[in-house]
Amino acid sequence: MRTRRLIPALAVLALAAPLAACSAGGGGGDSAGGTVNWWTWDEKQAVSYKECLAGFEEENPGVTVNISQYGVDDYFTKLTAGFVAGNAPDAFQNSVQFFDAYAKQGQLEPLDDYISKSDYDLGVFNVGVENWKYTDGKQYALPLDWAASAIYFNEDMVTQAGYTADDIASMTWNPDDGGTFDQIATHLTIDENGVRGDEPGFDKTKVATYGVGNLGTEDYIGQTTWNPFISTTGWKIGDPAAWATQFRYDDPEFIKTMDWVRGLSDRGIAPKLGEFTIGDTEQLGSGKVAMSSGGSWSASTFAQLPGLEVGIAPTVLGPDGTTRSMMSNSNGNEIWAGSKNKDNAWKWISYMGSEDCQTKAALQSGSFFPSIPGAMDAVAADQLSKGVDLGVFVDAAKNGWIYPAYPSANGSEMGTTIQPLMEAFFTHERDDDVFPEMAATSKEILAG
Amino acid sequence: MAITASRGTRAAKSTRIRGRGAINSHSPAHRHDGRLAWVLIAPALVGFVVFFLYPTLRGIYLSFTDFKVLTPPTFTGFDNFVRLFGDQVFWSSLGVTVYFVLLSVVFGMTISLVTAVVLHRLTSNTVVRGIIILPFLISGVVAATTWSWMLDSQLGVVNMLIEQLTGEPILFLGSRAWAIPSIAMISVWKSMGYNAIIIFAGLQTIPPTIYEAGRIDGANEVQMFRRLTLPLLRPILAMVLVLTVIGSFQVFDIVAVTTKGGPANASNVLQMYIYDKAFGQFDFGYGATMSLALFAMLIIITFLQMRLMRASESDTN
Repeated sequence: MRTRRLIPALAVLALAAPLAACSAGGGGGDSAGGTVNWWTWDEKQAVSYKECLAGFEEENPGVTVNISQYGVDDYFTKLTAGFVAGNAPDAFQNSVQFFDAYAKQGQLEPLDDYISKSDYDLGVFNVGVENWKYTDGKQYALPLDWAASAIYFNEDMVTQAGYTADDIASMTWNPDDGGTFDQIATHLTIDENGVRGDEPGFDKTKVATYGVGNLGTEDYIGQTTWNPFISTTGWKIGDPAAWATQFRYDDPEFIKTMDWVRGLSDRGIAPKLGEFTIGDTEQLGSGKVAMSSGGSWSASTFAQLPGLEVGIAPTVLGPDGTTRSMMSNSNGNEIWAGSKNKDNAWKWISYMGSEDCQTKAALQSGSFFPSIPGAMDAVAADQLSKGVDLGVFVDAAKNGWIYPAYPSANGSEMGTTIQPLMEAFFTHERDDDVFPEMAATSKEILAG
Repeated sequence: MAITASRGTRAAKSTRIRGRGAINSHSPAHRHDGRLAWVLIAPALVGFVVFFLYPTLRGIYLSFTDFKVLTPPTFTGFDNFVRLFGDQVFWSSLGVTVYFVLLSVVFGMTISLVTAVVLHRLTSNTVVRGIIILPFLISGVVAATTWSWMLDSQLGVVNMLIEQLTGEPILFLGSRAWAIPSIAMISVWKSMGYNAIIIFAGLQTIPPTIYEAGRIDGANEVQMFRRLTLPLLRPILAMVLVLTVIGSFQVFDIVAVTTKGGPANASNVLQMYIYDKAFGQFDFGYGATMSLALFAMLIIITFLQMRLMRASESDTN
């Protein structure tokens, strides 16, 4: 009889145990007292910000912080599941792409009251604050970092072609003939017979080294590819800039620029879309590409390419000969609206937004740029001592070359809808007629 | 014969009666067996209800709603289905998926069958069989990443060989014409060994006496393969076919790693599109509608396959 009674009990226990396990290990929703759960997708930032824990916990006795990191491929799915299940983290790193979706559905805590109550000065940041203002005019995040773009080049190839680093840093561009950028990229291109792109007999079907990496599509804003070129003409994607109602893909200057970008691949100066399945650092590292327009986050990776001296130059000067323009995106540090620990979460994210913490964290890895100028200077000096010159990005922030990647609605849908159209253009499936369609489609998505 | 059958039936009846009496739940010794039976099947039953039945019913309900996951679903009737019929990307994705399935099934089945027959005829070495199944054991993401490097038109080893032979590299994953055939090739490479081992197991169930009889009747190797091996393998081939078709319709990881659906939606298979709508754009209602459509298609296709191939019958009897 005992055995018979024991069996159902064990069965119930066996069923209950996994369910109990499912409900354990929750995030912020369950966090009581002084524990703040903070999530990031960046494994380097997860380690870096641990440098700030001791100082924070000393300033805020009784409050502890639990930092968790999840790979970016799972991060937003896990975060969304956390919102639904009620165990999302108290505070977390967010990308501007998901800002609208989360804010629209009431998952983000407006920070304005916390800012005013604690006399926090948003002026401490020189970039990124604007990126995180929602349509209701409220501030929903503190900038965690910032990024821009630059031109990375193989110093040996540039020297062999008869140019100097200054020539690369002073390249001009216009949408009609591509300016000196086009001339230099053409001259840097070499076919398998050693003939340069601007010499007679150049074989564009057998290119050994491309003058520049693909400037065609990567994303619908072209942050590190075509955007630093077209934006020097004054063109900006959003109309209006923040929370745009349409994207200006049908602007004649934009269309002319896209024709020029596609022409680079047609002429054999840049690889065709899909020709490389590897990233820009590998392309430059393999000697297949002489110059590459890339993100600031790649600076330290380029510097570590073995046996290769990589120079960093600012993006091109526009048609007026003086304007440089780089789109700058900033990830945000946000508080979950469903958190039971919002005040402590604010203490943590505002502490992260201090020059002291930003400097400590950024120096730890050197992988991200702090949005606070003093901390950025410290990182640049530290990286210079390690052989990586970030002067271009420091200048960009100080000289006003950067402009914010303003948020817009339905970023994810925009990406998956516009990118195939861009790809159709760059693979010659479609011609200039695709751009009015893109403008009309973007209008629908932004309104949706 | 009739008498024998009648006797047999009566005998069976009496056995059943005796049998029922033997496990009579009203007897004191088995009074609690029913309860115990429920307890013992409870884990499986709970698993079925929690992880299969409820999600399926919930998915069907959500397909009739506008559901953005962070706010409660709103019932919208057939709006999602009307949208589905007018959604060009859905139909284009379905076309891409069917093209992928056809390539995977035709080449996958053929190569697996040939490999199994060769294994059966030439070797009994278990190490060789183990090596054949190796690609199946590799994670899809790892296989896809490695193949995308090997197929790179500038630096990949495959294109280096092709360029030496033809003088022209092929944009395997970067061109509209080659994207799906390349993904199908990776998929076939990965699943071929598993299918070959299943078919190989089927080949081992065919008695050697059948081939001996064939030889005595003067059949050559090709005739024996066509007239003996293939018909006797039919239930196994039907199972492999059904599994390959369902698996191919569900392809996701290889596409996500190699092309992400590009270029210009050329490899945007249905699973990729559903994933993007649901998890990328939080349009879970419409994602559920598309999943339901895929579910219905798979049921119909599987049913037709089973009927056409008489999968539950064997020619060995």
